[in-house]
Amino acid sequence: MTPELQLFMVLGALVLLCIIFTLLKRGLMSVKYSLLWLLLAVALVIAAAFPYVIYVLRDILSIEMPVNLVFLLMFCFVLVVLLSLSIAITQLAEKCKRLTQANAILEKRVRELEEKNR
Amino acid sequence: MDTKILVLIPCYNEEENIVSTVERLKSTCPQVDFLVINDCSTDHSADILHAHHYPFLDLPVNLGIGGGVQCGYQYAVHNGYDVTIQMDGDGQHDPAYLMEVVQPVLDGTYDMCIGSRFIKKEGFQTSFMRRVGIRFLSWLIHLLCGKRVLDVTSGFRACNARMTAYFARHYAIDYPEPEAILAASLAGFSVGEAPVIMRERQGGVSSIHSFKSAYYMIKVSLALIIDRFSIHKVKGGKA
Repeated sequence: MTPELQLFMVLGALVLLCIIFTLLKRGLMSVKYSLLWLLLAVALVIAAAFPYVIYVLRDILSIEMPVNLVFLLMFCFVLVVLLSLSIAITQLAEKCKRLTQANAILEKRVRELEEKNR
Repeated sequence: MDTKILVLIPCYNEEENIVSTVERLKSTCPQVDFLVINDCSTDHSADILHAHHYPFLDLPVNLGIGGGVQCGYQYAVHNGYDVTIQMDGDGQHDPAYLMEVVQPVLDGTYDMCIGSRFIKKEGFQTSFMRRVGIRFLSWLIHLLCGKRVLDVTSGFRACNARMTAYFARHYAIDYPEPEAILAASLAGFSVGEAPVIMRERQGGVSSIHSFKSAYYMIKVSLALIIDRFSIHKVKGGKA
């Protein structure tokens, strides 16, 4: 890895970390969902600053090109994020359904009270 | 009659059928209460329900048949009904057979009684392909819980208070009828059928289109298999 590329990678990872912090600070992302992203950003900073980690991992898994290991890890990370999003959506849909049902039952009571008081 | 009976009529874009269905119910079974569940219809169903002063729940967003019916079950629990019946709003289910579906539940024979068109094989029997599909789901449910129900997709069903309370908490969203049978059986409730004669729907369009039926079969089969693993089998109905 050339020093230029390494510098670029470290800066990129730091920018990602900053973006996540800003999102958290402005309340655009909840801490619950930010944990995965923070983990990724920290891992990226470490991998960019100390590529030695990647070389060791590559030797352990006997993958020919270090970059393939990086792609593999990134792909796994994306899968985990997508799965966690599906879980979050399912939970939100269930809550939304319960709210809709409670709202409909309340609306009927209100409507009948209004008709009675007219 | 002391027992409080509530008929739930799910309604999604049924402006052509809803009035005749409700009027027929009122004239055939004047002793029961009814509740129309308007699942955010895009036609004039809501206006019609307002104009006729029918009791109805107005869902602010479309939940699909399962979410709508579950809302009706929750209403039944809040208002202390002894028996809750589900009946389609499209005129397929004849209120003349309502009490035959309710009677086994009143007698305590079953916790849930399903109006089945396949016991006596009279009246509208639906298309050949659908019968094949229904037979397959019936076989799958039998395989998964040992309970044989013939008309697994029938939406004409009566539940006692315990069953109603269970459905108020757990009910599938999209195509809930077969799943409800399996869930009830696994949770230890007794499920049975009563013979009824159904008619062809009177107007409007069915919620299951032919090109969607493959998707329907796969989704329901998968949901049933998953339910088998997620609901712990209970003996004697303690759920």
